[in-house]
Amino acid sequence: MALRIVPAAGHPAYTEAAIGAPSAPGVHDTLRANLSLTTPAPKAAGANAHATTASFHPLESRLSQWRAQQESLKMEMLRRQFGVAEPVKRQMELSIVRAGEWQPACLTGGFGGSAPGSGNLHADILSGRDCEIGWEDVFTGEEMRDQVDFHVEMETRFGMNW
Amino acid sequence: MPGFDFSNHNRNLALHAQGVPLPKATSTGTTIVGCIYDGGVVIAADTRATSGPIVADKNCEKLHYIAPQIWCAGAGTAADTEFTTALISSNLELHALSTGRKPRVVTVMTMLKQHLFRYQGHIGAYLVVAGCDPTGNHLFTVHAHGSTDKLPYVTMGSGSLAAMSVFETQWKRDMNRDEAVKLCAEAIQAGIFNDLGSGSNVDVCVITPEKTHLLRNYITPNVREKKMRDYKFKRGTTAVLNEKIITKEEISKYVVVEDVPGEQAVGEKMEVDQ
Repeated sequence: MALRIVPAAGHPAYTEAAIGAPSAPGVHDTLRANLSLTTPAPKAAGANAHATTASFHPLESRLSQWRAQQESLKMEMLRRQFGVAEPVKRQMELSIVRAGEWQPACLTGGFGGSAPGSGNLHADILSGRDCEIGWEDVFTGEEMRDQVDFHVEMETRFGMNW
Repeated sequence: MPGFDFSNHNRNLALHAQGVPLPKATSTGTTIVGCIYDGGVVIAADTRATSGPIVADKNCEKLHYIAPQIWCAGAGTAADTEFTTALISSNLELHALSTGRKPRVVTVMTMLKQHLFRYQGHIGAYLVVAGCDPTGNHLFTVHAHGSTDKLPYVTMGSGSLAAMSVFETQWKRDMNRDEAVKLCAEAIQAGIFNDLGSGSNVDVCVITPEKTHLLRNYITPNVREKKMRDYKFKRGTTAVLNEKIITKEEISKYVVVEDVPGEQAVGEKMEVDQ
């Protein structure tokens, strides 16, 4: 596993020649291949899967993979220095903390996850993000969404919305 | 998706392919300079904000607060410099609270370059970072792609060549405060008069380990002259054809009339000729 700092470019380095109609090799088969021109070509199984992005902008795939890339770099360096037990321990702690904490959505909460705005303080501390603020924390992408009332949220969580 | 929104990018590409012209990139002009002297550091900026060939603001502020002893002068896209410095300022405050120490200027520089490198120059913030911390007085430049410089005197923006010519001819070692402020103001004025993207007034910020002095509009070489003629017409110049007076009592039959006390509650008054 490479010690990569910056995520790889979003565009595929090669294309699969095999995508085509089975009966007529080389002919593009729309039903099997892309649904539209904007969706990226389906990846061959096992290839390093890039996060699907909404656009061809080179920055978007970089940003969407940035944090995961930094995280994997950190874990790889920990593994090389301390052995596999260290990243395993950290991942376990993180997943325990993510599973155990919940904050109401009206308090900028969310369920688990270290996604920005999820309000998971413990996960933030474990991932070293507790004293950090970025564009994602300011522009959460949910400004247009209706704010869910606390009571409505609890009713849906407990199946009381008959 | 949180953060930057790329959802219109494909649409814009498709429109461009069909021949719709993309909006032109606005070239932004600025002159910002910085200079270290014995016992502190000075940064200065002009105050013109341009959008293309139009002067958008004649007296904008290009010196941004990061921390009490660390200030930042910004060139490039105005919104990007404004927001980036605000974001780094918040991050730095959180960092200072976490470590319990006064923030270092190198910390700001590193935060800025890492942030800007991540966005590959799409955030157009070209900054001069200056400040005093327990390790001394520091002056850095940060480019939009994340490259940085550390020099005793720096210039940036479209007027950087004019300003640098002043520094290259007049800068000397071991200046005192007044000499440094004068040199920076001279350099900014060179930008104001020789660069079309820069103009209006000179803002200066003097940072010492004890105190920061922000000298807003330190020099105003471009005061607006009074117009030779005015176009105010005397009352009654235009003939009144007919006149109908509607009293407040009359109109309050149809709508609720309320008197707002005091001056009208408008935020900022428009600038008009005297």
